[in-house]
Amino acid sequence: MDAAGIGQLVPGLAKLGGGLSIGLAALGTGIGMGILVGKAIEGMARQPESAGLLRTTMFIGVAFVEALALYALVVTFLLIF
Amino acid sequence: MNLMEHLQPHVYIPLKIGGIDISITNAVVAIWIACFLVFLTLTLAGRTGRLVPRGIQNFMETLVQFARQTLVVEILGEEGLAWFPFIATLFFFILYCNLLGLVPVFPGFTPTSNIWVTASLAVVVFICTHAAGIARHGIGRYFKNFIPGGLPKGIGGIIMTGFMLLIEIISHIARPLSLAVRLFANMTAGHLVILVFISMIFMISAFITPVSVVMAVVMMAFEIFVCVLQAFIFAILASIYISLAVHAEH
Repeated sequence: MDAAGIGQLVPGLAKLGGGLSIGLAALGTGIGMGILVGKAIEGMARQPESAGLLRTTMFIGVAFVEALALYALVVTFLLIF
Repeated sequence: MNLMEHLQPHVYIPLKIGGIDISITNAVVAIWIACFLVFLTLTLAGRTGRLVPRGIQNFMETLVQFARQTLVVEILGEEGLAWFPFIATLFFFILYCNLLGLVPVFPGFTPTSNIWVTASLAVVVFICTHAAGIARHGIGRYFKNFIPGGLPKGIGGIIMTGFMLLIEIISHIARPLSLAVRLFANMTAGHLVILVFISMIFMISAFITPVSVVMAVVMMAFEIFVCVLQAFIFAILASIYISLAVHAEH
């Protein structure tokens, strides 16, 4: 394939990369959030009196985990548009 | 049909001072409306000052009490109440900005889905954090806290000091960056999903309308939750960063 042909491929490859990046990020984030929320519920079930503190801490943790997927989302936007 | 068009601010009145673009866009108008609504609701709620709160006072008192207790006292302690106005302002402003984006009519723009708005807020938090640390410890001792104690003496110690300083500086720069990107990306993605569901009607066919409207309503409900959560997260992280600077170990 000559240089012009490869040049035509680039926008499509960028879209492919964008889709892959958010998909893989969502995969990792899903696993992480599952572990995090599962552990938090475990703690709440074991000690219901500390549920309030656990919930606050869990939401902060969720925000940190979620941010990783959102960084990938920004990269996806940059690649696609 | 380009969906990204909806994320760009539309200029109402072009305005330029000394090469700096300060045009009045719908983002600016949305911020003004958010400020006005915060002022209006809090003033209306606080004006009557009933001992047994009713109506709007009841609702706002719950929110203010939440901001005071969960966001400030539990993290910064009683002496951190000096930061309560700042943290509460951040919380209410971001909350109103986020929720304003869900209103489909005028101005129809989420101010917090613009990276410059969230970055400005994050920079304010960054400056306040270090100002709080310097005010508490003095400039010399505050920056000495960047280097942990107990490093070995000699050439190895110098290399380690430089290395630790680098890590510490990177982590301090990453904080406002992640604050800004988190709020921006959450708001952009959440509001874009609703837009995608609605625009599916025009993109695919009219028969898909029931599905896409139901999905949009479900996402809208979830977005209200996310809006409150992100305002809470931003305010509590600002509070935590200030407490880390004020209560630096050593």
